[in-house]
This record gives sequence, structure tokens and C-alpha cells, in this order.
Amino acid sequence: MGYGRFALVLLGVVCALVWFVPSYYTGLVTQIGLYALVAIGLNLFMGYAGQVSLGQAAFFGIGAYTSATLAVKLGWTPWVGMIAGAFAAALVAYVLSFVALRLRENLLALATLALGIVINVVFNQWEFIGGSSGIKDIPGFALAGYTFSPRGYAILAWALVAFGIWFAGNLVRSSFGRSLIAISAGELGAQALGIDGERLKRQTFVLSTVYAGVGGAVYASYASYIDPTSFNFLLSVDFVLMSVVGGIRSLWGAVIGAAVVVVLTPLLQSLVPLVMPSARGDVQTFFFGALLIAMLILLPSGITSRWSAAGRT
Amino acid sequence: MEAIWQYVLAGVVDGAIFALVAAGFVLIYQVTGIINFAQGEFVMIGGMTAASLATAGMPVLAAAGIAVVVAAAAGALAYLVAIRPARKATGVTLIFITLGLDVAIRGLGLFVWGTNPYSLPAFSAGNAIAIFGGVLPPQAAWVLGTDAIVFGALYLFFRHTFVGMAVRAAVANPPIASAFGIPLRRFAFLSFVAAAAIGGLGGVVITPIPGAQYDMGLTYGLAGFVAAVLGGLDSLPGALLGGFVLGILEHLAGGLLSPGWEQGIAFLLLVLVLVVRPQGLLGRAVRRA
Repeated sequence: MGYGRFALVLLGVVCALVWFVPSYYTGLVTQIGLYALVAIGLNLFMGYAGQVSLGQAAFFGIGAYTSATLAVKLGWTPWVGMIAGAFAAALVAYVLSFVALRLRENLLALATLALGIVINVVFNQWEFIGGSSGIKDIPGFALAGYTFSPRGYAILAWALVAFGIWFAGNLVRSSFGRSLIAISAGELGAQALGIDGERLKRQTFVLSTVYAGVGGAVYASYASYIDPTSFNFLLSVDFVLMSVVGGIRSLWGAVIGAAVVVVLTPLLQSLVPLVMPSARGDVQTFFFGALLIAMLILLPSGITSRWSAAGRT
Repeated sequence: MEAIWQYVLAGVVDGAIFALVAAGFVLIYQVTGIINFAQGEFVMIGGMTAASLATAGMPVLAAAGIAVVVAAAAGALAYLVAIRPARKATGVTLIFITLGLDVAIRGLGLFVWGTNPYSLPAFSAGNAIAIFGGVLPPQAAWVLGTDAIVFGALYLFFRHTFVGMAVRAAVANPPIASAFGIPLRRFAFLSFVAAAAIGGLGGVVITPIPGAQYDMGLTYGLAGFVAAVLGGLDSLPGALLGGFVLGILEHLAGGLLSPGWEQGIAFLLLVLVLVVRPQGLLGRAVRRA
């Protein structure tokens, strides 16, 4: 089944689901959708193009801050904010790509990590966008008089995921996608085949931040409050975990990975203190780190690799 | 002017610790080609172990010694559990693995010590040290002395011992070194142990000044990267220089602009160095991982 049709089925399932489950779970469903968007973009850049980004949370943040600032300061609707957020993230990524994408592997990882942290410092220091106290009372989405409820956000998030998967699915099966895989296999060889690696990597990086920017913009209106800690390095690590767990070169893997991380976080935070009463706060971090290591050693192509391998044989 | 001098002094003390963390990066990167994102967590293990043992009533220097051993053991364990099984993995996978190690060790610190901050008494009593109108806490002498001893020992080891020269041969040309019977894999293991011990020692000596908390490793780890890249990932003297330059710059930025800018300046510097001079101040050429 093609990406588009499967995505529509999934959207239908989510739409049906959110009418039955309690509102807490609707929130989780929304969060999975928004993070999945970021992870889909990240998988294009890391999985298909073979690059690495340890700063993706910053672009999620740029999307969120752009939409929130436009809405709070200028009264713009979040619908426009969503497009502006994607555009702002893409613009920053485009400029930074001239710096970062000259580097490879280890150094690219360090550079994206550094840029992510610098952007976070800017969030913190720029008083116009709220500084360390962030932005509160961010207006929500509305459509023809209907103000979005938590259900509405879940459906919006997953509609975006469906569109994002469909778009990325078409992309990776085009000559663009095959060129990306060629780059990840060896940039020099790809260049010998006439592929402009530099340009392709830039386009993919920018596209991955469009996904992050859209996700962030919707997140801002959904959460109605953002501050710099919502977009720090630890979130970038979570995004990497989502990518790796689901399968770095798999679009559905991004969705699965986002679901695993979003569901495990509150689950571990409530279960672990039962066993270890002294453990408080971000107790999921140990398990996430261990999960990341275990996946890379035991199943480096992610959970979905098993399924597709089983499907082919 | 006086304030600036005080920032510089405070920067030198922090920079000394950044230099130790950076030395750990350089050791591991040189021997294995891996950027160990978990390096800062060994600082945390050293600092937290020493502080919690001292809080429980152990004499400070004994606690400090045990803490370094614990950090070294953590480095050994990290290598055996996470790095060794993945030794056939390529660059990006290894980056993610050490990133996972960083997160896992920090989480483990949370389990063992909780979120409360710990403190550690200074190693020696005494008055603040006055230098040209600026002041340093007495512990600063221990911090700088540790740097002198560690870097001195590393210099002697690599220049004047048989094993040290074997390590340099292994770095220069792994296949040939291996053909001469140099045990590359054992060196990889030992580089993790040594880097962890040095990081742990850094955590032990700095903790009396700012205190210790389970999540302190990230800050030191990130600063250590910047210092290592700044100085050159293949240069131990570069790590020392990079540490001090970064420490001083951070404190100047924090003091003259605002404390929030410390990290921003550090990482802008990192990006700048990566682009303009990827081999760092004292490094030779960037090794393709």
C-alpha cells in the first residue's frame, strides 16, 4: 500500500480514536503527531541523506516562537503563523547550512549541536520574544468560528503527519530520494554520477526544518505557552532517539519512534518511582539512553526494519 | 578593570576543568576516532561520588581517591557495554551510541543521587588567594595543581615511555602498528579508562567550588567539546590551551554581557572554529572519521 493511502487510513483511525479515548490520551496522540512530523523530517536528513543533526529542537522552537510571536504581538492567525514558522525555520536552516553542511559526521554533529544551543540561548536572551519567561496565552487555532479543542489539535496534527508522510514518501521514491541514498552511500561516488551533493544535502536539511517548523508552530498554539526549556538540547536528543528507534531510514519508523518516546515518558515517570521511591524528575532518561544504545547495537536499522524484512521474505 | 581581572581569574579555574575534560576527548578521539559525547558524565560521577561519600562522613581526600577510581571503572564499563559491541559501526552510529551513554549515565546519576545538590569541603583550609587585586578560593590551587600534574604526566607518558610511544604509533598508523604487535583494542579500552579517570578527577577537584548535581555533566561535557575542538582534536597541548581560552571567554562574556550569554559565546566560537580552522589552534589536520 502506498504512503498516501496508508497515511489516510491512519488519519481516519486517529479521528475515530480521539472521540472515544479520555482527553489525557488525546493530548498524547497530539504530541505523537507533532513530534512525528519533526522525526519524519529528521529521517529524510539523517536516514536517507546520511547526515546528522543534533540541533533539530531549535528549529521546532523557531517554528513555535515565530507563530507565537506573530499571534501575540500582531494578532495574526496561527494558520498564517504555521506557514510563517515553517518559512522562518527554513530560512535559518538555509543560512546555517552554508556553515554546517561543509562538515561531515563527527564535526557536523558538533556543529549542529552547537547551533542548536546558540539558537536556544537567543530564545533565552531576546526579551522581545519573552526571554527566559517565554510567551504565554498564545491564541489557538480556529476555523470558521470553531475554536480548536484538544480533539481538533489531534486531528490537525495527524492531518499534517498524513500530508507529511505522503509528501516525503513521494520524495524518497523519486530520483531526488534515490540521489539522497547515493549520497549517504558515498558522496564522492554520488558526485561522479552527476549528483550535486552539496545542493541536495542543503535542500534536504531545509526541508527537514520545514517539518520541524510546522510541528513547532502547531505545538505553540496547542500548548498555549512556550519557553526556551521546551526546545533545549535534551529535546534534540529525544528526536534522535525517535529516529533511531523506529528506523532511521523509514518514514513510518519516525511515527513509531515518536509514539514510543511520547508514550514511554509519562509511563516511566509514573512507574519508576513505584520501584525506586527516591527517583524523581526525568527518570526516563536512563532508559532512553539505554534504549538508544541497545537499538544501535542489536537492531541498528530500527524496529520497522524487522517488519519490512519479514514482509519481503 | 578590576572586575575584568576577576572574570579572567574565575575563567582560569573553570578553564582548568574544561581542559581536563578536553584532554579526555582528545585521548579517546586520537586512539579510537570516536567523539565521546558522554565525557562530561565522568566529571559528574567523580564530583557526585566524592561529595556523597564526604557527606556520609568519609575524609575528603579518601572520598576523592575513591571517586576517581569509580569514574575510571565507569569508563571501563561504558566501553565494554556500549562501545566494544559496536566496534564495527560507522561514524554516525558511534556518535549516537555515545550520546545514548551520556543520557544513560546521567539517568543513572539521577537514580543513585536524586536531584538534590551535594557539596564537598575544600581540600585544604586557608584564606582566599589574592593575585594582583583579584581573589581565588583556596581550592583553585588544587584545581590548577591537578592540571599541571595531569598534563605533565600525559606529556611524560607519551614522550618518554615505551607504552606511550606505542600509543602514538597506533594513532599514526593503526594497521602498521597492529602488524608490529601493538594491541589496538586494548589501547581503545585504556583510552576510555584514562579519559574517564581524568574527567572524574576534574569533577572531584572542582566540586568544592560550585557543588555537584546529577545533571552537571552536560555543562562540562559541552564545554569540554568546545575546548577540545578549539585547541585541536588531535592535540593535548591544544586541549589545555582551549580549556583556558574558553574558560576566560565564558566568564568575560557572562560578566560583561549577561550570564546567559556564556554558553552562547562558547558555541558560537565552536562553530566559528569548525568553519574557519577545523584543525583547531594547535591541531594538525582533521582526521576523517
